[in-house]
Amino acid sequence: MNQWIDACAPDDIDEEDLIAWEHAGRKYAIYNTEKGFFASDLMCTHEEQSLEDGLVIDCVIECPLHGGRFDVCTGKALSAPVLVDLKTYPVKVESGRVFVQVEG
Amino acid sequence: MPDYVPTNAASSGVRLDKKTLKSIATRTDRPGLIWLAQWTLGLVATGTLVWAALGTVWVWPAMLLHGTLLTVPAYAASHETAHGTAFRSRWLNEAVLWVSSFIFIEEPLHRRYSHTNHHTHTWHVGEDSQMPYNIPLRFAEWFAATTGIIPLIYHVKVLYVLATRNFSDMILKFTPEPELPKMTRNARIMIALYVLIAVLPLAGIWWPVWFIILPRVLGTPVMILLVLIQHAELQENSPSILESTRSFTTNRVMAFLYMNMNNHVEHHLYPQVPFHALPKLAEAVKDQVPEPDHGFVRTCAELGLVVLRRSLGRSTKAPTIRQAPRMITDGGPIHSIAQKTM
Ligand code: FES
Repeated sequence: MNQWIDACAPDDIDEEDLIAWEHAGRKYAIYNTEKGFFASDLMCTHEEQSLEDGLVIDCVIECPLHGGRFDVCTGKALSAPVLVDLKTYPVKVESGRVFVQVEG
Repeated sequence: MPDYVPTNAASSGVRLDKKTLKSIATRTDRPGLIWLAQWTLGLVATGTLVWAALGTVWVWPAMLLHGTLLTVPAYAASHETAHGTAFRSRWLNEAVLWVSSFIFIEEPLHRRYSHTNHHTHTWHVGEDSQMPYNIPLRFAEWFAATTGIIPLIYHVKVLYVLATRNFSDMILKFTPEPELPKMTRNARIMIALYVLIAVLPLAGIWWPVWFIILPRVLGTPVMILLVLIQHAELQENSPSILESTRSFTTNRVMAFLYMNMNNHVEHHLYPQVPFHALPKLAEAVKDQVPEPDHGFVRTCAELGLVVLRRSLGRSTKAPTIRQAPRMITDGGPIHSIAQKTM
């Protein structure tokens, strides 16, 4: 069953940036973009590389290792070398907190 | 989980706080556009020199100058745009990747994927697809590479392999399968364009010979010298970029032509940092990385001397450039360490 988990405060993430967040042994990236907050898996789909040090440009996250880019809102792989989409998770901001809907 | 660790800042024990890294790595179009405009103006200037010298013996030094200005920045731009860091606008990156890779004679997707592999497995024997010479480097190979013969054979071979779909194991390893047909298509387009340029003189059109073909050949040595010193005499199979990679100091002209890639250690530590911000990055990590070697000419000269001495069976200790301990010997027979992958 999916459940909403309190992940962080909105201020914990700078604008156009992301933080790494761990819950139940799984690693997530939570983004603060001009379109709002989003969440995805933390690891790139190209190789085993955390996106934590990646750049958020508009609504795109760029992997720090080879520059592969994903759409933060949809997880869609946008440019080589990434071809496999990033898994995304619903996010809501309520009562001054950022909640991520995780599986299980 | 993979059975390797990507070679970068984390594997090298180098740390930079995220705010600093982010401010350094910020992407914008402006510095790339200024660089592009300066390169174009430079090419117009040196092209004018070639034009003015046509029919005289001075055309050769003019073509050497023009060729160096054509070839080195084309190599550097193709590298930077393969990373996608030259511009904030993606289309601009891809357009410059195509043009510069065409001048560099490498299919753009092959350029990108073989280089991603080089960053994941920097200087790892049998894994790094961009090891351009056998280790340890010997004089004959150094000389043949510097003349441009070895790189030319490699580039032609790769185009042929891609165009005929005779992919090597290495290409299959570093390229996602859906990309292979695109590489084949691109390689065929590029070969057709090269053939077209090559036959133009038959139709009485000679300007490509004087302004592109001969300059591209004459500009190769400086480009290769830059490539050779990136990792030569350093430690293979190390997770640490600090042991496998060399930075060197240089003057402003060379830094411009090479898009600041003389900060090569720093580039491998944080490949997401764009070329124009590399000096800032170098400043930020300077306490955590080895001192750069001194000057392009001196570094190349010392490397040339070391490989000559190695081939003559003499001691291989360089006067000042960094060397991995196992590269320094008292002379005698040469023991092969690794086969090149290019
Ligand atoms: S590991 Fe992310 S693009 Fe290669």
